Amino acid sequence: MKTVISSWLLLRLLFRPAAVFEELADTQPEPHIIFFRYFVWLSIVPPVFAYIGASNFGWRLGAAEPLFVPAGDLMIISMAYFFVLLFGFVSTAIIAQWMASTYGARHSLGVHFALVTIIAAPLVVGSVMHLFPHVFLNVLVLIPTLIWSMYLLYKGLPIVLKITPERGMLMASALIGYLLVAAVSLLGLTVALWGRGIGPSIGV
Amino acid sequence: MAATELKKNEVYHDRVVTALVIFSVIWIIVGMSAGVYIAAELVWPTLDFGEQWLSFGRLRPLHTNVVIFGFGVSALMGTAFYSVQRTSHVPLYAPKLAWFCCFAWQICILLGGISLLAGWTSSKEYAELEWPFDIAITVVWVSFGIVFFGTIAKRKIKPIYISNWFYGGLIIVIAMIHIVNSLAIPVTLSKSYSVFAGAQDAIVQWWYGHNAVGFLLTGGFLGMMYYFLPKQAERPIWSYRLSIVAFWAFTYSYIWAGPHHLIYSSIPDWVQSLAMVMSIVLLAPSWATMINGIMTVSGASQKLKTDPALKFIVLSLAFYGLATFEGSMMAIKSVNVVSHFTDWTVGHVHSGALGWNAMITYGTYYFLVPRLFGTTLYSVKLANIHFWLALAGTMLYVLAMWGAGVSQGLLWLSLDEIGELSFSFKDIMASMPPYYALRLVAGLIFLTGTVLMAFNFYMTMKGRRTVQVRPPIVTSHWA
Repeated sequence: MKTVISSWLLLRLLFRPAAVFEELADTQPEPHIIFFRYFVWLSIVPPVFAYIGASNFGWRLGAAEPLFVPAGDLMIISMAYFFVLLFGFVSTAIIAQWMASTYGARHSLGVHFALVTIIAAPLVVGSVMHLFPHVFLNVLVLIPTLIWSMYLLYKGLPIVLKITPERGMLMASALIGYLLVAAVSLLGLTVALWGRGIGPSIGV
Repeated sequence: MAATELKKNEVYHDRVVTALVIFSVIWIIVGMSAGVYIAAELVWPTLDFGEQWLSFGRLRPLHTNVVIFGFGVSALMGTAFYSVQRTSHVPLYAPKLAWFCCFAWQICILLGGISLLAGWTSSKEYAELEWPFDIAITVVWVSFGIVFFGTIAKRKIKPIYISNWFYGGLIIVIAMIHIVNSLAIPVTLSKSYSVFAGAQDAIVQWWYGHNAVGFLLTGGFLGMMYYFLPKQAERPIWSYRLSIVAFWAFTYSYIWAGPHHLIYSSIPDWVQSLAMVMSIVLLAPSWATMINGIMTVSGASQKLKTDPALKFIVLSLAFYGLATFEGSMMAIKSVNVVSHFTDWTVGHVHSGALGWNAMITYGTYYFLVPRLFGTTLYSVKLANIHFWLALAGTMLYVLAMWGAGVSQGLLWLSLDEIGELSFSFKDIMASMPPYYALRLVAGLIFLTGTVLMAFNFYMTMKGRRTVQVRPPIVTSHWA
């Protein structure tokens, strides 16, 4: 079985996802290669966009004045965003690997790393909206990209992990459960940090 | 069935189940339509046309009461009657009383809904109905208990299956909290005053409010899950022992969590902290049940090919996991300080109500309705379309409210350089309509799916009667 995926994986998966899934099904990539060659670079994109956007335009939450956060705090928030994305990536892949035995799926960590990279890619593309951090516009753009991601997850998981579509549906739904919880944890953690004085100045 | 009608006391009483299922589907359409309408009012406030009964303040309690009590309780009553007969291997105890429960409950909801539109209200959230209705509800509820526990008392199988523990918990706890919270001195037919005052009133109200969420919207529907999920998956519960442990842990810890609705209010600080801690503890039994459900269904993937119902149940478990985690998290003081009073709470409630309560019920009904009528579902394709509409509607709703809620929390608390509030409340709220429009679209998508389901059921039932089923003869060592 091959251990190296051919180049331009990210570009191809955005336009021809089915071909990438088929290729991955016959590949056993090394987890560290997927991580350092693809995921780290993908994870840098949203925080950089968020930093550039927030420092130039301020957070636009709808009220008259945009909210400007001091540059130092913005740097901390963007770094935190980067590490949260890395944590989310690794934890999702490990959880997917842990679930694999329940659903009779492939167990190689590298495959799960690759799968999560595929799911994350549309969201990274959608994060271009962070360049103009108007919250509602970001929500509007991220909804279709989320649908795209979920489509890739439900479609690709059974092919890549070599299980029946029905089992794939179950495992993908279990992963959605984890990702929803991870998303809401991120929200909770963020507002708890605001309360501790990191980020915008709020009267708590 | 056979040409000769079976004697009434020899067969399961399923016609009352059918009636309750039909009523609950009618109520969910009415209740959700009211929800969609008030969602539209938040975008276009003049939609009330200056009519008091069309105002947000009156339609909102109509929406919550019809959905929770009209749809939720009818669905729970129907599925409880269905499953308690099958897990006890006997027909219902006092079937006429069961019919009384069915119709008296619908009359309570109908007249109660009209009274809310007329402006009668006790002003207690989720307990707005005035004292005449509180008494009527108590009578129906006690009758429900007599039928349910009477059936268990005459059961032919010794163990009491886990779903019955949850349904039983629902009946007992709702009776307790409803009676205590509704204690009031009537002044006129349409107005009464609570016997509790001030901070005590608030604590009693949220002890009620949160345990209505706990034992009705969570516990009752868990009873539904514990019976119908293994039936659909055609496998026993993954860990029966875990389900029992989770039941008692759930019952013990839920009852303390109510005051987390009152964090940073005038109730004692230790009560707030206790509620916060118990809310976090509550995550353990909630998730034990989720894991039990997911593991039960994980081995039944072959059923997904033919059965649209199972998809709803799988997804409802994911949203159950989200909503229970989110609830515990929002009970933490440092999160609550930002999230409280924002639309984040509304989003949280709907990830539970749409993602968990509605979806588990829809999944159950897609299984139950064809069986009640001894036929197959009119259209599996429509059910599959409904599934994607339900998922899309719920996700869109939750995302819109997360965006709106977190923005509100941040802007309301935002300070400028000299330590004054940066934004006025009015300006912040004036910037919310785009989110509310998105939520309106989400509600319409979810409602469309529900209407498709109602049509599907109508076509499935059309021209048919509820089939008669005889209890099996119990010969095993369990008898």
